[in-house]
Order: sequence, then structure tokens, then C-alpha cells
Amino acid sequence: MEDTNKITIASCSMCNNALALESIFCENCGYPENGSENDIAKFHAKKAMDNNKHVGADKKIKSARNTLYAISGLTFAVGLFLYFQNKDLYLLVTNFSLCIAYLGLAFWSSKKPLMALLIGLLLYLTTITISAIEEPTTLAKGILWKIIIISYLSKGIYSASSVEKVDQSHLK
Amino acid sequence: MSTKCNLCNTLFKENINFCSKCGNSLSKSNNDKASSINLIIAFYITMLLFSFTSSYIYTISYSFTNEIITEIIFAFLVLGFSLFGYKKILKLYRIPDLGWKVWLFAIVFPIISSVFVNFFVDFLNSLFSLEETENYYTQYVFLEYPLFWSILFIAILPPIFEELAFRGFLFNQLKKVISNKQTIVATAFIFALIHFSVISFIWIFPFGLVLGYLRSKYNTLWLGMLVHFIHNLIIVFIDYTNLNI
Repeated sequence: MEDTNKITIASCSMCNNALALESIFCENCGYPENGSENDIAKFHAKKAMDNNKHVGADKKIKSARNTLYAISGLTFAVGLFLYFQNKDLYLLVTNFSLCIAYLGLAFWSSKKPLMALLIGLLLYLTTITISAIEEPTTLAKGILWKIIIISYLSKGIYSASSVEKVDQSHLK
Repeated sequence: MSTKCNLCNTLFKENINFCSKCGNSLSKSNNDKASSINLIIAFYITMLLFSFTSSYIYTISYSFTNEIITEIIFAFLVLGFSLFGYKKILKLYRIPDLGWKVWLFAIVFPIISSVFVNFFVDFLNSLFSLEETENYYTQYVFLEYPLFWSILFIAILPPIFEELAFRGFLFNQLKKVISNKQTIVATAFIFALIHFSVISFIWIFPFGLVLGYLRSKYNTLWLGMLVHFIHNLIIVFIDYTNLNI
């Protein structure tokens, strides 16, 4: 371990977390409050890298959120179309419920992105499976769109999981 | 819960993000989280494939042998996934030392929920003329000892393996990536989703919330299994009675 100054402070100057007297690094954000200049430089370099990662992740989460909005709108439109074509009330209620669910998840993804996007993906996979059980040929219909939707949602999920770690540190 | 720094071996009494001695990050790495997410998605896709295949098999021909085979496959799939983090799952099978009020709740709640669900689903179906209310007992009337088989396949096996799958494996994996409250909500949502019914979702979701809460608060699967068992058992008896009136 490199040279460290002796400790007299009570809180971290980066995140205001309380510091034990013998602490070199803040237990909350990792700032080397009593570390060497080298430690401080390393901390700021890592913080800059995390922020870059954060910006990339935010974009992917936003794309995933927009995907949920798009699925919601499509589900509603398809439900209406099928209702006017077949007068099937059950299908209309199902599609309307799904539309509300996707819309709710899209809104929620701005607060809890990981959970909302994960549930959104599982819900989408479930609707594909139910359609396939009713009519197996639907599995191949719009396969390219299905892959695009799944890939956008998946990227959003993994980005959200990496962002949550950055958020935990409560960096200024 | 204590945390140990794997770089300098310092032990901390609380969960912290960074080691105060060497600055090593102690929070869960992204790789750990990503592997948990992979497992959750793999588990759910496996369950979907299982549902798709079993419904296809039942469509071709429903037989008692098919029912036995699908139940065995489901059990093996659940046990297979449970091998991931089995030590934590095994701890959930310890007999908990709980007060009589908790056990009483675990008996009274499913009695109320099953009776409510039976009339509520009937009411909704008749109101909107939606799905035809399913009588689970009818699937087994062509067998010898139908009441025995319906109790085994509806009241005994699902509580054992569904609780292990959703409140055991899935709950533990989700807890690694999201908070405890979110885990309760997410497992309830996924549990309701896999039942493939809009009407059933309305009652299975809150039912799953109660099961998730019990799992979270008392760290045991026994309470969930008991609640699930009594609920399903009463549904079987209601269906049995309805068919024999």
C-alpha cells in the first residue's frame, strides 16, 4: 500500500458518507479520502470510465423502453383489428390488458429499469409462446421483428444491470 | 451479514461497496449479475418450451402416461435448475420455528382464497362470457381412483415443484440482481404469467405476492407449500363436488 495521510475527517468529501477514523477509502463510493495522489487519480479515471459506460447504458435502456411503447401500441392496434374482424371479445380484452401491461412496464422502466425490462421481455416471450400453442405457424411470422424486439429488450436488461452498480456508489 | 475483502482479507460487519483499507470494490460484479440474469431467462424459456411441448403432446393425444411423463420432465427441469445455488435452496427446507399464528394463517388464508377464487372466476367468466370455467377433476374421471390422481397431480405435486421453482430457484436468483421487495413482485408476476390466462392472472398474482412474502419473511418453502397445497386441495374438492351434484 502506498503512503497515506493520517486521518482526522468524519465524512467523505465526495459523497458525504460517514468515515471511520482509520479509513483510507470511503466504504460507500471508494474515494481515497486519505489515500495518495496516485489513488485519487485512479479514482477519477475510473469515475470517468463509469460515466461513459453510464451514457452508453442509458441509451440502450431508452431504446428498450421505446420498444415496450411500440409493442404496447401494436398490441392495441392488433386487438382492435381482430375485434372488428372476428367480433372476439376475449381477444380484445386480452390485447387491451397486454397493451396496459406493456405501457405500465415502459413507464416503470424509468424508475426500475432492470426489473421492468426483464418482466417486459418475459411477457413478450410468453405472448409468442401462447400464440404458438394456439397456432404453431405464428412462430415463424414476423420472425425478424421478434428477433429485433428481443435483442433491444435484452440489451436494455444487461445495460440496466450494469448501471445499477454505478448508481449504488452515489457518486457526485 | 458480514463482508470479507478478497484482496486484503479485512472483515466488515456490514455490507459495503468498497474496502476502506485497500479500496477494492466489494459490491457484486456485473459478471455475477449477468450470469444470474442469464439463468433467469434460461429458466423461463425452458418453462415456456416445456409448456409448448406438453400442450402439443396433449393436443395429439391425452393419456395418463403422457401426464406422468410431463410431470416427471417438469420435476427434472426444476431440480436441474435448482442445482444452481443448491446450498441456499437446501436451507429453505429447514423446519422453521414459527409461532402458531403464522401456521394458522397458512391454513386459513388458502381456505378463504380458494373459495373466493372459485366464485370470482365463475362470476368473471359469466359476466364477460370469456373463458369456459375449467373443472380440473374431469381430466381424471376416466381413470381408476380419479380422486386420488387428481389430488396427486393438482394438490400435491404442483406445490412441491412450483414452490421450489418460483420461491426457491427463481427467488434466489432474482434477489441477486434486484431488491427484496422487487423480487417478491417479480416472482409473483412471473408465476402468474406462466399460467397463461388473463382471468387467472387477476388472482394468481396477489396469491403469488402472499407466497413470496411468506418465503421472504420466514426463509422457508414449507409455508408456501402448505398454503399452495390447501388452496389446490380445496379447488379439487369443489370441482369434485360440482361434478357429482
